[in-house]
Amino acid sequence: MRVKAISSTGLLHGLHGRPSDYVLLLLVLLAIGMAAYQLRHDAGSTPMVHIYHAQTLLATYPLQSKQAIHFIAHGDVGTSEVWIERGKVRIIHSSCRTKACVLSGEHHRIGDMIACVPNRILVTIEGKQHALDAISQ
Amino acid sequence: MMRPEPQQLQQQARWLAFLLLASGLHIFESAMPSLGPWFKLGLANIVTLIVLATMGVRYALALALARIIIGALLLGTLLTPTFIVSLVATLSAASVMVVVWRYVPNVSLLGVSLCAAVVHMAAQFWVVGAWIIQQEVLYQLLPPFLLLACVTGWLNGSLARYMVAQLQVRDGEYIASKK
Repeated sequence: MRVKAISSTGLLHGLHGRPSDYVLLLLVLLAIGMAAYQLRHDAGSTPMVHIYHAQTLLATYPLQSKQAIHFIAHGDVGTSEVWIERGKVRIIHSSCRTKACVLSGEHHRIGDMIACVPNRILVTIEGKQHALDAISQ
Repeated sequence: MMRPEPQQLQQQARWLAFLLLASGLHIFESAMPSLGPWFKLGLANIVTLIVLATMGVRYALALALARIIIGALLLGTLLTPTFIVSLVATLSAASVMVVVWRYVPNVSLLGVSLCAAVVHMAAQFWVVGAWIIQQEVLYQLLPPFLLLACVTGWLNGSLARYMVAQLQVRDGEYIASKK
């Protein structure tokens, strides 16, 4: 059995580490800083689905969610059911009369939008790269 | 069957006492209010550190595993997602404790505890993010929680170091009184 020499005498004295402890602390803090930077960078470029009723943001979900997301948005004439799965978003049911939002099908690019005008529900895909191709549509 | 040596029996009795203490701290901690579902002070880890420093690697790993199982049995969370999270995180942290203690030269329990606390927190997030909730957005919470884990890891390490020093003094006095 290996027992290292323990040199601390008081509780407060015990807060002072050895040089190896401070090296480990520095490495850990560096790793946390890098992870935070990476996460922030990833979050900025991850497309997010925003669901609005008029100007009110009802919900935000990542487009690339591993699990399918079913969100029921309550609008002016009833409900609009938003379905997010495998990087694609669509409205699968709406209480509106025209159903144009349902018929518009799946959307997956940053800048894409699905609008249900009668219900005043807007679904947008937002992210860092603003979709020039979406504007050109 | 060979009768065990008194020294071996004493070692086992001491390990059992540590296990009881660790299980008690585990349950106490789960009853305490915390900053979040994954944030705990890691008081039971102090006992694992003490066992690692005074009894060795095998006893420390066995204590970490036994503490999780006993704690889950008493809390009624055995084989639930909470148990899986706790099991993976504790075993990862205990493994890192052993690696740092063995292979980092001139490290003290502060450094060991720091690494264990950070790995414990990261492992919890990994299990929850990858297997239970499966939402990557959870990882956005990871950096602040890791910073808190650094603080608690350092404090727990200092407590463990103090207690090990006290135990060594008591053991020395005990051995001297026997002579």
